[in-house]
Amino acid sequence: MAEISAHETVSGQLPAAKPAAWRLGPGRANAVPIILFLLIGFAAPLLAVIGYSFMPPRTFGLWQTPTLENYVSVFTGTSYISFLWSLGLGAATVLLLAVICYPVAYGLARVFGRWSTLLTLLFTIPLFVSENVRIYGWILFFIKNGVLLGTFKAWFGVEPESWLFTQGIIVLGMVYVYLPFMLFPMTLGVSMVPKETRDAAFDLGATRWQVFKEVDLPLSMPGIVIGFLLSFVLAVGAIAEAKVLGGQKVIPITHDIEIAFTYSQNWPLGSALAVLLMLVVGALVLLVLRRFDLDTILGRR
Amino acid sequence: MFTSKLSRRNFMQQSALWASAFAAGGTLGVRSAMADRSKELNILCWEGYNSAQVLDPFRESSGATVKAESLTNDPTMINRLRAGEINVWDLINVNNPWAREVMWPEKLIKPLDRARFEPYYEKMLPAFKPPYKWALDGSGQELIGMAQRFGPYSFVVNTDKISKESAEDQGWDLWNDSANAGKYGILESDDWNVFNLCCIAGFDPFKEHSDDEVAKFTDAAKRVFKGAKLVGDIATMNQALVSGEIDFHMTGGTYSVSPARADGATNLRAITPKKGPMAGGKGGIAWIEITSVVNNPDVSPLAEQFLEYVQDPEMSHTVAFAEGTFNPVSQMGNPDCFKLFTKEELDAIQWDTLEEEMAASAEYDIVPDYDKLLDIMTSAKREASGG
Repeated sequence: MAEISAHETVSGQLPAAKPAAWRLGPGRANAVPIILFLLIGFAAPLLAVIGYSFMPPRTFGLWQTPTLENYVSVFTGTSYISFLWSLGLGAATVLLLAVICYPVAYGLARVFGRWSTLLTLLFTIPLFVSENVRIYGWILFFIKNGVLLGTFKAWFGVEPESWLFTQGIIVLGMVYVYLPFMLFPMTLGVSMVPKETRDAAFDLGATRWQVFKEVDLPLSMPGIVIGFLLSFVLAVGAIAEAKVLGGQKVIPITHDIEIAFTYSQNWPLGSALAVLLMLVVGALVLLVLRRFDLDTILGRR
Repeated sequence: MFTSKLSRRNFMQQSALWASAFAAGGTLGVRSAMADRSKELNILCWEGYNSAQVLDPFRESSGATVKAESLTNDPTMINRLRAGEINVWDLINVNNPWAREVMWPEKLIKPLDRARFEPYYEKMLPAFKPPYKWALDGSGQELIGMAQRFGPYSFVVNTDKISKESAEDQGWDLWNDSANAGKYGILESDDWNVFNLCCIAGFDPFKEHSDDEVAKFTDAAKRVFKGAKLVGDIATMNQALVSGEIDFHMTGGTYSVSPARADGATNLRAITPKKGPMAGGKGGIAWIEITSVVNNPDVSPLAEQFLEYVQDPEMSHTVAFAEGTFNPVSQMGNPDCFKLFTKEELDAIQWDTLEEEMAASAEYDIVPDYDKLLDIMTSAKREASGG
């Protein structure tokens, strides 16, 4: 009621006022501050990175004659190794996470009952501790004479080779760090499947496998896709796991970008690598979104 | 009431008013800060100078807001100034050649009052007596910074696995011995690793290199990174040495190993090779930090005051043992400062051999073709990760 009368008062004050051609509608006008904020805070740095990627190598100004030199050196050099590592490690992480998280998500949504809250809390708590600290914790666990191998040596008198500084341990670190980003969207997805639909499928004679394939999986797909996207994008951008746990046995593309911006003092090359990474990840994400339209799976259309 | 007057239309007007008031306030704030920086000081430095032990007494005595940001490589710090932060920082603390050969020619730093600051050099260890090369510009006329922490920085061994004498004699050839593959680590200090790879390949890093030398460097880079057990930070290197994951690592020196030695791991030791490819047959490389006043158009008057503050014997000792890494300081030449160091502290920084190690080391300098060598090294590192 109050809203209507306020509206009438406003309308009443300006009965014949037609908006000037340059004037924005109230919706757009109110969006101006946030648009400005996004332009300055989000678009401008991205544009700067894109701009730098076309500047001559090892220069610091943004207003020089553009060149494709950085892209040429990326494509003619060995950077593809780093790209492949990042994408490969990201894909391996996501696949492992999917296999690990689906049963846990199913349990959290359907089986564990009141214990679900406690378990969710246990999965969440590590997020409050810095990623680097948690990774260094793994170092202490896996290092020679550390928690695992030290105990093994003390109890059984044998000392297996250390698992640290290998590709496998990098994947383990990434799976550990990004688990919540797959688990929680997936849990949401699984809990979105109506119990009645599953019951109906069983009543109609579907086997467990058929119910999983025809009901559970398609209906929980929104959560699964979001989990896939979130953990993949984060995993492709991972750097600490390869640097610390992997002992830099693997140089992911993010590490290459860091080297370009620091020791190499080559901002344009770092920018070109960053732009290419954005393009590759963006293209992959778009590809997935073309297959699974988020609006459709979220039920908005 | 204020809220009753807020309608959808005047919301925009109100917003605009508030925004312009905020903007005006912000501008005024900036102007007033520009006018008076007597109570603030911004320091860009290696770790240690940003510790509470060093900064808090200065904050208390000056009543100033002191901000210090620590970074762990010189080029990044210089880049920050180049990228426009010259207006932000008052002091910059980097390794010796950067002040004299890069920041001074690029007008990123200011000269110090020689009459006021050079007498401090008189009290330092003999190697720093004035005129001290790295504290002066190329012409030798201007004093461009103050020296404090320094140290030899070649490699570190676990002396339970390789004796000090053997490591000193073998020197950089430790990395040329294929039997050592998988036994060593590499500190992620890419600029120093370029120097080391030159030494391993058998030539002086601090000069322009021939095609033949570049080819040798490429070969050494591929081989050394392929054979490394790990590449990591200082903590990881020390931990890997203590746990037995590795027997030795480059780059390393008192700077990197002193925290482990202070913690009781005195079997870990910084080594300076007895011979090598540098001028005079030197095999080691040493660094000396130089702290300079930034050429900030509105520099804080506290900048020079802080430089004097850290010359004090007690504060010099605090700087030497500030959190992070422990290092010798040039002020140890002053008996009032030296007497503050305990036997354990002197042992942590290998005081017993410090003088001879510095004498066997060439001083860190700019590598003229660093960019090319770094690109080769980065690529070699990447290829080593390729399988």
